[in-house]
Amino acid sequence: MGGACSRKRDPLANEDTSNRVGPSGRYTKSSSSKWLGTSFSRAYMDAMQGKRNRPSLINLCIYKIREDINKYSTFSMLPRDISQQIFDDLVYSHCLTDSVLEAFRDCALQDLNLGEYPGFDDSWMDIVSSQGSSLLSVDLSGSEVTDSGLIYLKECKNIQSLNFNYCDLISDKGLEQISGLSNLNTLSFKRNNAITAQGLSFLSGLISLIKLDLERCPKIQGGLVHLKGLEKLESLNLNCCNCITDADMKALSGLTNLKSLQIASSKVTDNGVTFLRGLSKLALLNMEGCPVTAACLESLSALDALLYLNLSRCNLTDDKCEKFSKLLSLKVLNLGFNEISSAILVHLKGLTKLESLNLDSCKINDEGMVHLAGLSCLKYLELSDTEVGSSGLRHLSGLLNLESLNLSFTIVTDGGLKKLSGLSSLKSLNLDARQITDAGLAALTNLTGLMHLDLFGARITDSGTNCLRSFKKLLSLEICGGGLTDEGVKNIKDLTSLTLLNLSQNNHLTDKSLELISGLTQLVSLNVSNSRVTNNGLQHLKSLKNLKSLTLESCKLNADDMKKFQSTHLPNLVSFRPE
Amino acid sequence: MKKEDTVKLISAEGFEFVIDKKAAMVSQTIRNMLTSPGSFAETEHGEVTFPEISTTILEKICQYFYWSLQYASGKETEFHIEPELTLELMMAANYLHT
Repeated sequence: MGGACSRKRDPLANEDTSNRVGPSGRYTKSSSSKWLGTSFSRAYMDAMQGKRNRPSLINLCIYKIREDINKYSTFSMLPRDISQQIFDDLVYSHCLTDSVLEAFRDCALQDLNLGEYPGFDDSWMDIVSSQGSSLLSVDLSGSEVTDSGLIYLKECKNIQSLNFNYCDLISDKGLEQISGLSNLNTLSFKRNNAITAQGLSFLSGLISLIKLDLERCPKIQGGLVHLKGLEKLESLNLNCCNCITDADMKALSGLTNLKSLQIASSKVTDNGVTFLRGLSKLALLNMEGCPVTAACLESLSALDALLYLNLSRCNLTDDKCEKFSKLLSLKVLNLGFNEISSAILVHLKGLTKLESLNLDSCKINDEGMVHLAGLSCLKYLELSDTEVGSSGLRHLSGLLNLESLNLSFTIVTDGGLKKLSGLSSLKSLNLDARQITDAGLAALTNLTGLMHLDLFGARITDSGTNCLRSFKKLLSLEICGGGLTDEGVKNIKDLTSLTLLNLSQNNHLTDKSLELISGLTQLVSLNVSNSRVTNNGLQHLKSLKNLKSLTLESCKLNADDMKKFQSTHLPNLVSFRPE
Repeated sequence: MKKEDTVKLISAEGFEFVIDKKAAMVSQTIRNMLTSPGSFAETEHGEVTFPEISTTILEKICQYFYWSLQYASGKETEFHIEPELTLELMMAANYLHT
């Protein structure tokens, strides 16, 4: 049921599967999995607006080579930068096969970005190895490569970056094979169920390591002691390693170059955090979902360089929250989903460098808002699912740098929204709340810079859509309150920048609406589920050549209609429903 | 055609191609040579010699320059490349940043 229910948009950071999402996931808001803010996923969408350029001669040659690829037996006579470009193109276009790969033997390639490439197994490692000392980076994530396959990397002494995320066939023995690659500065093996503490002992010689990613490795407890000598280490990701405990934090206490530490969903408690006091360069700490309380702030207040702190879904209560006032360097703070009340906001009052504050689902109400009034650097404020109402909004009216504000599922009413009318920097506004109506929207027409407007559950009717004409820069719009008819869609048809449009649940919409939408050729995602749209209406969407996702669930058409339409008119459509 | 509106491109074998300056500027490398003041003799004489590019390849490159201008003005035709030229052409294109 294409989003029939209102949704939460702040998934666990631990569920960050950005490398694994299928194509369809990229075009929906719910793919936003970064805890620092929603702006990242949107930046991606915004970047897709680029215009097509005339093809360079290099690219024309590359396409030609791809066409005739089986005619080439070797590229080893080419300069490296040329063969690298051919290789990258073949990977990108999924034209690399066993036999084609052979042509790249001894090409002195530097980068083999073969992550998630189908068919990549140990039999390819011989060619990988033949790049010899030229090879600088290898991505074999998601491949079938085994411990024995990694033996081939021994000769490639200059490798700096190695990634074998999601490689189920690599274990401690594999790590032994790479233990001599002393130039490695980046190593990543997410979601490995086989590697244990013993395996980590083979990392102790990788003295150049700067970045190490062990996300979702459930058996590495006790192994972090082997990292003690890695003095250059700046970034360590232990998210979702639910085996990690306070004792493991002790092993990290001497890694004073650490700038980024992620231990979300581990078993680390306040006691474990005390071992981090000496990490004076630490700028990012992610403890989402850890069983820590505000008592850990005592230890964190020693970290003068801390910019990003994620304490969402922890065990915070109002108790001991006064120590927040010591975290003066913070720019980004996430306190979502904790049992904290408005009483703690007074301790944030002095954090004047804050640019992003997340209070999602906390027991925050109007009383606390006064303490945010002085946070003039704030760009991103998340108040979803709080008890903030209209009277609290007046304290936000001076936050002139605010770019993103989420008021979904709050008790804010139409009357309060005029307090927001001066927030001229606002680009993203979420008013997904049932009590918001046309009158509230009318108070916001000054906000002409808005690029993202979410009115999912708001009761917007045709007359309210007149206000939408003010928002010419809109890239995404959601109005799913059930009150729209084809008449209202007339006011949407001129929002030609739109890339995402969700008009589902408006069950009066007919094929006429699709006809009106047909001029919105920038659209990448369209949802008109639960409407009276029929198979005949589909023809109006032929012009939407950029469309990647089309959802028409519970309409008057079936999966066969969709399939036929997709294959005949919109082959670029990667996700369509019903299917 | 005025002389200052054209440039002469000279191949490894000494074959000369006189083409519009506008077309030659499709190549970032040639553009730099012709526009950076004082740093290249080419700027003054409007002549560029390519000791590494054969006549066949240079001819193809000149064709591409004109094709590219057409493409930019909306005439999106296909640019044909003979299979036997591809690798050598690609190396030259790489050098010419085009």
